[in-house]
Amino acid sequence: MRYPKRVGRLSVPRRTVRLATAAMLVATTMAACGQDDGEKASAPKAPATIPELTKDPLTLSFIWFDWPPAHALETFANAEYAKERSNVTIKVNTVPNANWHDAIFTQFAARKTDFDIPILDSQHIGEAVTNGNILDITDFVKKNIDVKAYNPYLLAAYGQFPQAETGKRDENASLYGLPLLGDTWTMIYRKDLIGDEPPQTWDEMISVAEKCQADNPGVSGLAFHQANGSDAAAVTYNTVNGVYGGNLWDPKTRKIDGVLNDAAGQEAMDVLVNKMKPLTATGSGNWFIDEVNAAVAQGKACIAFNWIAASGGLLDPKQSTLGTTREQILDKLGFATLPSQKTNLVPLGGMGMHVSAYSSEPNQAEALNFMKWFERADIQKKWAAAGGVPSRTDALESPEFLNAGPFNQVYTDSVPRMRDMWNVPEYARLVDIENTNVNAALNGAKKPKDALDDIAKEQQGVLDSSGRKGGGGL
Amino acid sequence: MSDPVSLTTEHPGQVASATPPAPGRSSRLSDRWLTVAFTSPALLLLLAMSVFPLLWALYLSFTDYSATRGGPAHFVGFENYTAILTSAQVHQRALTTLIYVVGAVTLQTVLGFAIAYLISRRTHGRGLLTTLFLVPMMLSPVVVGLFWRFMLDAQFGVINSMLGSLGLEQVEWLTRQRTALISLIVVDTWQWTPFIMLIALAGLTAVPKYLYEAAAIDRASEWFRFRTITLPLVWPLLLIAVLFRAIEAFRLFDLVYILTSGGPGVSTETLSFHVYKVAFLGFNTGTASAYGILMVLVVLVLTQLYLRYLNKLKED
Repeated sequence: MRYPKRVGRLSVPRRTVRLATAAMLVATTMAACGQDDGEKASAPKAPATIPELTKDPLTLSFIWFDWPPAHALETFANAEYAKERSNVTIKVNTVPNANWHDAIFTQFAARKTDFDIPILDSQHIGEAVTNGNILDITDFVKKNIDVKAYNPYLLAAYGQFPQAETGKRDENASLYGLPLLGDTWTMIYRKDLIGDEPPQTWDEMISVAEKCQADNPGVSGLAFHQANGSDAAAVTYNTVNGVYGGNLWDPKTRKIDGVLNDAAGQEAMDVLVNKMKPLTATGSGNWFIDEVNAAVAQGKACIAFNWIAASGGLLDPKQSTLGTTREQILDKLGFATLPSQKTNLVPLGGMGMHVSAYSSEPNQAEALNFMKWFERADIQKKWAAAGGVPSRTDALESPEFLNAGPFNQVYTDSVPRMRDMWNVPEYARLVDIENTNVNAALNGAKKPKDALDDIAKEQQGVLDSSGRKGGGGL
Repeated sequence: MSDPVSLTTEHPGQVASATPPAPGRSSRLSDRWLTVAFTSPALLLLLAMSVFPLLWALYLSFTDYSATRGGPAHFVGFENYTAILTSAQVHQRALTTLIYVVGAVTLQTVLGFAIAYLISRRTHGRGLLTTLFLVPMMLSPVVVGLFWRFMLDAQFGVINSMLGSLGLEQVEWLTRQRTALISLIVVDTWQWTPFIMLIALAGLTAVPKYLYEAAAIDRASEWFRFRTITLPLVWPLLLIAVLFRAIEAFRLFDLVYILTSGGPGVSTETLSFHVYKVAFLGFNTGTASAYGILMVLVVLVLTQLYLRYLNKLKED
């Protein structure tokens, strides 16, 4: 009879264990050595002429964050683009706003994407171009797009890298994207509480909000973005900074410390924290787009600031307590361009569309064809009528756009006043530093001056350490 | 030749030996090789899913590699580790994490044990009560975070609404430095107290009844029985539950992400949340790997010390 041999431990010889460990280490080392070719990445070029398009069924995938324009784009594109390319289905994949950058760039990191057209914030272009994640479409644009039909800065902001000087476009610079959706902030005000005429200066706006809050218990004077996610609090500070004559940086010398926190920057931070914040609702320190809209729709704010592209829901009686019809709501709500103070700058929002470098060739060809189609004058007007914000000047001035929403005139008037943030590969870290510090100042976790000085110092550190070996990113 | 029947009758335990021996197995199918054959799939999976990524992260932690920038990974020695260990930002996050872990685990242990003790004394409805208490633990942390975010909203939340009906002032639960971390601890406690309760209940149920009977004969007080019988016998099991919860709390990410995004400012940013930012905002993969390895080391060292204490407790 055979009795099972009693063993206290697994009887795998030590030699085998040692061999297995060695094999693992060798595999790791080989994988490490073979991971890259050592060449510096750069954006691959798209052909100037659109290659022959496939006749097989094809799904053209976008990636964007979840908000009304994303759904509008999918509906619009499937209805209109299918008229010319019946074998193509458009799919706009959406992720929560807070995951937008991560969702796109983690796929870029894997060098494989399940989308063909990433919708990037203008400030993400630098990171994507430097890493070679999107196609250089300069030659394609020259041959297929009427660049004179656009305000040059809009074309530059959504596609050019290196970043354009505010308000201009460098015609010699490369283009990596085309405008998909224009956007900026609009001032939303209660006509029934503060009168039909919107305040013209920032100081006037604050005093009007102060009076409105005092006269209407339960209604706060102001509502604006303060959250520390995405770019919420950062855009708010940057807007006030611009209005009070400040600068975010000196792009030529890459200097932030001493520029952002100069006298104008300090004044802007003081206005934001000490004059505007006390006029907001209790606990609004984590508000972003949806919360601001909810406060307006529920009649809880005298004056609010929000992105135009996200303001459509305010006119929906189902979501509002201000009226049972769109007309009743519009009797109470007014939309205006931002008040000016020392300057009349407004924040540039919106996004461009780009072509993933990792998409298949038929899909890249289809993406280029879609972009060419989308930038046509007639399609831009149809996009405007469908609720989109176009970028071509003729579409911006067309009745289709101006009559589509009460805030569209605000956008057209704001285009010459726009200013963007930094479009550099380090953008994600720069905006995080600004977001967290402005949010800290707004919520009493830091003194305004300390917060601004910390932003300047930490952002300067990020720019100065770019390319440094080891310890980056803290 | 012996008689097989008599053998079976006299030595029933040796029936098997009476049957003819199985055909000889190939020497290749020895016990050792069978063991290896049966365990190797699981081992390979473990190597591929755990050991290799860990070694890979260890390798990357000594480089300046960035997942998005690509390019070769340059060896930077211990620079990433030095940068992390000397960073004031990391120290701040470590302190936040420590306060969170101590606060949450202490509260959960006290509450969990108290609930378990009360349940263990009931004879009716014990199963139903236990099941009801376990519900929060079954929910996804993201779901828990989302509905607590609504409940704690300063303007529209039910908590402030209740405070208002009692004539109390509104509290900014998630947007003030003092209350935001407390809110996180409360939400985590709501979700994970049942875990401690469950383990404690198992320990309490396992205490032999005769000890209590003997104590009752000696007219020992309730407090004396609890102090000298219940607590010492349940203590080792409770400590294991505390160990699990402390490790979980140390790597807290989801609740922070949903409830506060680390705010206001960075006052509720835990170490895990910071690693996420280093890894996926800056895509500094080398630094993030070193950060992760250091966190694993901290957990390993603390767990070892803890287990030694537990073993000592057992021996005593």
